[in-house]
Amino acid sequence: MSSPSPIPPPNDRRSSRSSSSAAPYAGDGILVGGPPGSPSPLALRASNSPSSRRRHSRIVKTPPEFQSLDYVSAPDSNLVCLICHTPFDKPVQLSCEHYFCRECLDHAWAPQASGRKTCPTCRNKVETDKDIRPVPKIIETMLDELVVKCPNTKAGCTWTEHRVNVNDHVMLYCEYTPVECSGTDCRLQISQKDFHKGCLHYTVSCDDCHASLMKKDLEEHKRNICANRKTSCALCSVEVLRLDLKSHINKDCPKHVISCQGTIVGCKFTAERAEVVLHEVNCAMATMAPHFREQQARIERNEARMEPLARKVGILEDGLTNITNMLYPANSNDQSFPVTDPLDPNDTDPQAPTPDFRLPPASFPPVPPGNEGAPTQPPFDSQVHHLLTLHDSLREEVSRIANALTDLDGRTNMMIINESQRAKDEMLHANAAISSLRMHLQWLVSATIHQRTTSAGSSPAKTAGSTNVSAGGSSATRATSARPGPSATLQGPFRRLSDSTRQDTKL
Amino acid sequence: MFASKRLGKELTKMHGKLPPGITLVKADDFQTWLMDIQVIDSNPIYQGETYRLKFIFSGNYPIEAPEVVFLKDDSHPIPWHPHIYSNGIICLDLLDRQGWSPVHNVESVCVSLQSMLTSNTKKERPQGDDNFVRYNTQRPRDISFVFHDNQV
Ligand SMILES: [Zn+2]
Ligand SMILES: [Zn+2]
Ligand SMILES: [Zn+2]
Ligand SMILES: [Zn+2]
Ligand SMILES: [Zn+2]
Ligand SMILES: [Zn+2]
Ligand SMILES: [Zn+2]
Repeated sequence: MSSPSPIPPPNDRRSSRSSSSAAPYAGDGILVGGPPGSPSPLALRASNSPSSRRRHSRIVKTPPEFQSLDYVSAPDSNLVCLICHTPFDKPVQLSCEHYFCRECLDHAWAPQASGRKTCPTCRNKVETDKDIRPVPKIIETMLDELVVKCPNTKAGCTWTEHRVNVNDHVMLYCEYTPVECSGTDCRLQISQKDFHKGCLHYTVSCDDCHASLMKKDLEEHKRNICANRKTSCALCSVEVLRLDLKSHINKDCPKHVISCQGTIVGCKFTAERAEVVLHEVNCAMATMAPHFREQQARIERNEARMEPLARKVGILEDGLTNITNMLYPANSNDQSFPVTDPLDPNDTDPQAPTPDFRLPPASFPPVPPGNEGAPTQPPFDSQVHHLLTLHDSLREEVSRIANALTDLDGRTNMMIINESQRAKDEMLHANAAISSLRMHLQWLVSATIHQRTTSAGSSPAKTAGSTNVSAGGSSATRATSARPGPSATLQGPFRRLSDSTRQDTKL
Repeated sequence: MFASKRLGKELTKMHGKLPPGITLVKADDFQTWLMDIQVIDSNPIYQGETYRLKFIFSGNYPIEAPEVVFLKDDSHPIPWHPHIYSNGIICLDLLDRQGWSPVHNVESVCVSLQSMLTSNTKKERPQGDDNFVRYNTQRPRDISFVFHDNQV
């Protein structure tokens, strides 16, 4: 008795192919060798492409018919429908308390005019919908629990179970449910379990009786039909199916010579199976064998898990070496490096570039002194590994250069900014100086004009003007942006000049 | 389809056990079966005789009634009965379109016929037997009999 397995039914595999492509399949009609109707080599190669399956976009299975089910024991006559003579399938109850399958009743009523339906058993009139009632729950439970055989029993299925499960079994789990053959040009049916084997609808001949039959029926033939299907075991002369001979010798034959199960622990006992079985009852090593086997399996599992871990560690160590080498670029070829263990960055070193950054010591031994030139590297376990490490270190290098470049760039920019700022300042100074000079010049010019127009009458005013000029000039040179002195001290004609001065300083 | 399933069930059951006086003669397919019936208790009319019945099933059996007639040959006469014509056609409400019910089956039809004979006391044919036998071309199930006599 097999219970439904949790493995998804094989037809799920192809659910994604449900969209059937209309593209014509190139291999159609080309059959090169092989059994007739079998996929051509081309077809085989393309057999996974959706187009080659366009006819088989869905596996169509027929649900089991309850009326054809085979019951393990004769069902109670009270549970049998009088119309179909099988246990009820979705039964209903009429007002006269006669029970029928809903479907049988519909069949029986088909020829009767509506409104004149009668109970097939007692001929009482039935008011269609009102008089049809569900059957008691217990009847349904009893029906559900009837034990049936799988409808594919003839094909080889051994499933027997409650009837309520038969639909699921056939539609989902049964390996023997007939489905459409996967052969491109084949429209026959095949057991679900053989679906992936391609088309088996070609003729072969049985090796044992020379009957010719379809390939798909060969196993069934060899198991149940072939006249020459039995043979006797050469060792124990028990009669077995030829098909089962190998498994008989390997598993059952009492005369086959095998060794004690404890052989993996050291038991040297070897004899015919029957004797070995007796021996194993008392053999301590045979008792221990299963535990040992289990341990062995566990060790193997762990070893398999360790390999990728070891590789990972190797790569990490290389990365670490690169980091270490970068932090102490001198350690590989500079003998004067003061650190006692060049690979232990935790040694206090006043010159360490990052004194507060602590690295664990590298796990591989330091290079022996005198081995100059060669950078410290652990042995590489493969070329790929080497390349990976190389790649890593190059990447480090590139990023370091990139960092340095950015750094440099920033510094240059700063320098340029500072420089231009200073130039600007100097220019301002120069401008201020020029404008004050210009003022002095204008003042002098206007003074000269004034002198000429008033003629040479008043000499004391002339001396006062000259002293004012010297005082105003000195103050102007001192103040760069302040209002120039002369305009404050001298009225009238200089008013306009002060405006021009302001304009100049704006330059 | 429906018929073959149902007949298959009936056949398996009949291979097991049948009421006394009823035997299955031939059921090679699901179209025509032959059954033999005998009248068990000592009715002088049917003493020592075996009657052969031919069942013809339509694809719609058991919704449709089977066609049932007595066959006549050297060892199997047609039984005397006021509802059985001399050509073997039986006038029984059970086998009529109106009288049939899908709950009947081959065995129950045989039992009904057996009891119909058992209870009969008149060694005669139906009225107008000669004419009917001579001129009838209809198949038994298409004939509409008038069930005038309910005692038999
Ligand atoms: Zn039914
Ligand atoms: Zn009823
Ligand atoms: Zn199955
Ligand atoms: Zn095929
Ligand atoms: Zn064979
Ligand atoms: Zn053997
Ligand atoms: Zn041992």
